[in-house]
Amino acid sequence: MEDCLAKKMEITVSEAEKRTGRNAMNMQETYTAYLIETRAVESQGEGQCAPMDSLWRRYSEFELLRNYLSVTYPHIVVPPLPEKRADFVWHKLSADNMDPDFVERRRIGLENFLLRVASHPVLCQDKIFYSFLTQEGGWKEMVNETGFQLKADSRLKALNATFRVKNPDKRFTELKHYSDELQSVISHLLRVRARVADRLYGVYKVHGNYGRVFRYAASIDDILEEEEHYADQLKEYLFYAEALRAVCRKHELMQYDLEMAAQDLTSKKQQCEELATGTVRTFSLKGMTSKLFGQETPEQREAKIKVLEEQIQEGEEQLKSKNLEGRDFVKSAWADIERFKEQKNHDLKEALISYAVMQISMCKKGIQVWTNAKECFSKM
Amino acid sequence: AAGAPKPLPSSGPKSLREMPHPLATSSSEEMGPALTPSPDLLLPRSIADKDLSLPNGTPVDTSSPASSSSLLNRLQLDDDLDGETRDLFVTVDDPKKHVCTMETYITYRVTTKTTRAEFDLPEYSVRRRYQDFDWLRNKLEESQPTHLIPPLPEKFVVKGVVDRFSEEFVETRRKALDKFLKRITDHPVLSFNEHFNVFLTAKDLNAYKKQGMALLSKMGESVKYVTGGYKLRSRPLEFAAIGEYLETFSLKLGTIDRIAQRIIKEQLEYLVELREYGPVYSTWGGLEVELSEPLEGVSACIGNCCTALEELSEDMTEDFLPVLREYILYSESMKNVLKKRDQVQAEYEAKLEAVALKKEDRPKVPTDVEKCQDRVECFNADLKADMERWQNNKRQDFRQLLMGMADKNIQYYEKCLTAWESIIPLLQDKPETK
Repeated sequence: MEDCLAKKMEITVSEAEKRTGRNAMNMQETYTAYLIETRAVESQGEGQCAPMDSLWRRYSEFELLRNYLSVTYPHIVVPPLPEKRADFVWHKLSADNMDPDFVERRRIGLENFLLRVASHPVLCQDKIFYSFLTQEGGWKEMVNETGFQLKADSRLKALNATFRVKNPDKRFTELKHYSDELQSVISHLLRVRARVADRLYGVYKVHGNYGRVFRYAASIDDILEEEEHYADQLKEYLFYAEALRAVCRKHELMQYDLEMAAQDLTSKKQQCEELATGTVRTFSLKGMTSKLFGQETPEQREAKIKVLEEQIQEGEEQLKSKNLEGRDFVKSAWADIERFKEQKNHDLKEALISYAVMQISMCKKGIQVWTNAKECFSKM
Repeated sequence: AAGAPKPLPSSGPKSLREMPHPLATSSSEEMGPALTPSPDLLLPRSIADKDLSLPNGTPVDTSSPASSSSLLNRLQLDDDLDGETRDLFVTVDDPKKHVCTMETYITYRVTTKTTRAEFDLPEYSVRRRYQDFDWLRNKLEESQPTHLIPPLPEKFVVKGVVDRFSEEFVETRRKALDKFLKRITDHPVLSFNEHFNVFLTAKDLNAYKKQGMALLSKMGESVKYVTGGYKLRSRPLEFAAIGEYLETFSLKLGTIDRIAQRIIKEQLEYLVELREYGPVYSTWGGLEVELSEPLEGVSACIGNCCTALEELSEDMTEDFLPVLREYILYSESMKNVLKKRDQVQAEYEAKLEAVALKKEDRPKVPTDVEKCQDRVECFNADLKADMERWQNNKRQDFRQLLMGMADKNIQYYEKCLTAWESIIPLLQDKPETK
């Protein structure tokens, strides 16, 4: 962590601006652009700050960056982006993407994303990431040139692997189960929390009808905003659960690949053996047809055996490297998962503490208001 | 009152003590408030000899305190009644359910402790049901029409919505019935009422109720007022002011009642969501290792807040709302008394006008017109005294009510505060390295 980017560079997403332009289909669209400012941190404070660099990026570029990182580092739990659309809203919040409050919270979320990546020991060293922060023009082309889209696993392939893999690492199975449950429970929590906030706001508003002495509904606004910050912290981990799943899926895919390769090798070896000894141990259509339509010549058989032997050798090498790959993946993925677990525990504890502190401040406010009211009443 | 009819005492907001009683002579005004009066001693001979009658036509029985009502009102204002001078204590408690073939009902124990001569024993304990309280109130209204009779809790409850036999309902009713009797006990005139006495003491109230008709003639109570559609000329300023005040007061009460009900409703809806919220943290805790305890802690904390909120809503429903309702009923019945007063005055004015029109040279005003005048003046005096008492009581009651509500809310927030403060150390705890 000593030499991660976050320590060397100050990164902020300081502004958001509405823009209009033409999209791929040459239709006019409105979007929000975010200003990323970076400044090198001077190791010896000479009083003079390094100059600040800045460039504008829109949400879709952030998405591109994240996709690139997910594909390029499949063993890493890649930090999630803030939500694309406003979810889990309650009546006070707008579901409109252009709503200034939503844009503001998204700005904070994007900054958080960049800081997460910059503090990750592996991800922060990525050149594409660095260019994202510093190179305005030509970045998109640069990303596409890496050809990462080709490396991306197809969704279908991944789904197939999930169902058919026979011996995935138990730890990953457990982790997958955990991330499913985590997603479910945090979604539920966010939904109920939104309803609770809605109702609580309703209670305070009705109290406001009692008169000036109870009109503390207005000051509740800033507390309820802090509640939204808490919701955002929970949402981050909701989306992190998806990133965890992605790592598990990658493992399943690799494991399935490995299993398929091993299976293929075994069947080839068997075929070879059969051809060599002339016995048919397993039923094969080829075997049947050759029986029906006549045996093949010894030369033909020799040729087949040779081809198979080559394939077997290739297969064995491939299997070896796949095994190695698989083991490396598991090792590095698990290391990152441990790192992630610690980060999660720390972050969520902090979030819960701030939440409790917020509740305490609300209670104190309530006590104060009613104590004042009581004084008014005592003078009746 | 000999000679020309006196103008009605309607000279604006003077305190009762300042106003000369229309029937009193100067000697009686010297009586200080500290004296516990026995009527025979206090009534100046001049008044005792007079042909006085109560507004309902009952000839004044000077041996009974009820007849010198106005005088007593002047002398026994609320401030004078403290623990030491009080000689009558009434309590309503111990509700019991009775299941009979025809019906099921609740009775309450009414306990009386007294040193008053009007009671044969120093202590009484009887059981009464709501019907009996209702009967008492009607009797009081009939026999003391110039006074403000405290209200009873509502008679009818919508079946199916409210459980008449639930603990909360019975307790709310008991408190209201207790308040009703205590208000009568505190009233210098009503507390000496014969029906009230019987209510507190009779073993068989129903027998007495049946006797009612016979007793009626014996006591000479005429039930009906002449409300013969007389039109009021001009309402005295102070009663007009009282009337206006009651209107405004009723409106305000209605508003507060509505707001209070909305608050309770919103609170309960909030509670519903909160009850679902807490357990989700617990479920999450089950998934985690290191975060298990903190999440469980948050869940328990929210549970405590739920309980606190439940208690607050219950208090609002059981203590706050019923008192509001009571005062709404109270002001309704007061408006009726004001109307009656208007009627009595109107009758007097009409009769007076009739006499004036006759243009006969009469040295003396006819007795029935005089009687009317007395009625009016007694009514006005009684009503004014009761209004002042009511104002004081109201101020105290509302002060207590609102301060109580504030207290309950403070308690609610304090409970929540304690809950959240107690989990902070739990959240900050560093786990031991395993």
